[in-house]
Amino acid sequence: MGWFKIRHKGIGQVAYVFQRLSGLVIVFYLYLHLFVLSNLLRGQVTYNQIVSSITYGPDDLFVVFDVLLALVIFYHGANGLRLALNEMGIGLKHNKLFFFLFEGIAMVALIIFLYYAWQFIAVG
Amino acid sequence: MATGTKSLLSGSLKEGKYVFIILRTDAKGKQSYATYEVPRDKVSTVLEGLQYIENNIDRTLAVRYSCRMEICGSCGMEINGRPRMACSTIISNLHTDTLKIEPLKHYKVVRDLVVDMEPFFEKYREVKPFIIRDDDGVYKSELKQTPEQFEEYEKYSMCIKCGLCLAACPIEGTDPDYIGPAALAGVLRYNLDSRDQGKKYRLDIINGEEGTARCHFIGECSEACPKDVDPSFAIQILRVQGLKHEISKIFRRSD
Amino acid sequence: MQDVDLRKPRTSRKALGPFQWILQVSTGIFLIFFVGVHLYLAHINFGHPIVFYNTVLENMHNPWWLLFYIAFVWIVAYHALNGVKGIIYDTGVKGRVRAAVSYGLTLAYIATVIYGTALAIAVSRIIVP
Repeated sequence: MGWFKIRHKGIGQVAYVFQRLSGLVIVFYLYLHLFVLSNLLRGQVTYNQIVSSITYGPDDLFVVFDVLLALVIFYHGANGLRLALNEMGIGLKHNKLFFFLFEGIAMVALIIFLYYAWQFIAVG
Repeated sequence: MATGTKSLLSGSLKEGKYVFIILRTDAKGKQSYATYEVPRDKVSTVLEGLQYIENNIDRTLAVRYSCRMEICGSCGMEINGRPRMACSTIISNLHTDTLKIEPLKHYKVVRDLVVDMEPFFEKYREVKPFIIRDDDGVYKSELKQTPEQFEEYEKYSMCIKCGLCLAACPIEGTDPDYIGPAALAGVLRYNLDSRDQGKKYRLDIINGEEGTARCHFIGECSEACPKDVDPSFAIQILRVQGLKHEISKIFRRSD
Repeated sequence: MQDVDLRKPRTSRKALGPFQWILQVSTGIFLIFFVGVHLYLAHINFGHPIVFYNTVLENMHNPWWLLFYIAFVWIVAYHALNGVKGIIYDTGVKGRVRAAVSYGLTLAYIATVIYGTALAIAVSRIIVP
């Protein structure tokens, strides 16, 4: 699995390694999420109990995981958009600039999202 | 003296000497590192260092080289972790006195720094790297081309078949059947050539599983290319060309 | 020096590469919209994020949102499993292993979309007490 290496490599490979790792994390979360949502069929009390217990998790661990998940999703989306444009021939000459620009915008959007999400956590 | 301090800082305690640590492979395939000291005032490029070693220290060192001016494509090797041409790598530009030299990655090692380049050329031949015409091949005069038409594909014609791009490509490392950046840049070179009419044959080949589909636009190939062919750029252009070709095939089939 | 037989290419002639690529790219771009909307609804939504049972059901009773989530599952499952396929293919598996991976992931896709669609429809039919 040589694609993991980022030592002595350019920004293109670093971006690629994190794109793959973030993709795998998101796939794992996708199935986990479908599993949790299946509990909607078990009624209001059960579902709300499960949601409450996993919002914070033991020692607030799940909040940390959720922040990391958000980071991973925003990274993957921004880099994915850059790849989509570059691979279609748009902005191909400036692909490194696009990477930093898109990721920069994504990180700002992430901070705004986390700020508001924290305010309304477990409300609703 | 400034250079003396630099050599101490980079870990080499040999004053006035470069240290070459070379991965040797014997006839049976056994690998080991051999260390050689090369006087700093006798050599400036890595190739000159290797020639010094060959001539003065160890005649058994196997190295491929020819033109010494980055046009024949023979002397590719891993120098301090990156694939480079030995003839054009100036040691002082590496800012270290210790050089770790290994044969090109992703190729089978024949001996020391010599690798088997046959798979590389096999892939290149597969994409029909020659002008293909749809006519009977009988011409009254030469096929003319304007300078503007030449500029369209000039960049991709600069490839010296050195193989550094395949050494740099991480996909090549795990999936050796991937046709690779050099062959794909070759496809674009001919597809953009105004004299060529064989675009469809080449696109059929690279639209398969081991063609452009295996590229993920990592860009290491373009970083490694000594002639600025920019194969990763070429491959992205070929994606759209390939898609248009596939779509047109659907409409042609329904005729 | 062996000659390459130019009539026999190194891989399958089925040129699915360009279509799979454009699908991966398109689903990716659609997902930026879907995930963006979903994250907003589930965590912000003007201060009333859709988190607990009642709000979820209320949301799912709206046929447009039901359609949204069904489309979401179909799109995200394709993008995810196609990505996983790329990762596995890049490890150098060939021939029958590759075919097995392709069939396996296709089955996984069918299973995921059937389950996701069924779950969405089932949830939308629950009467809120």
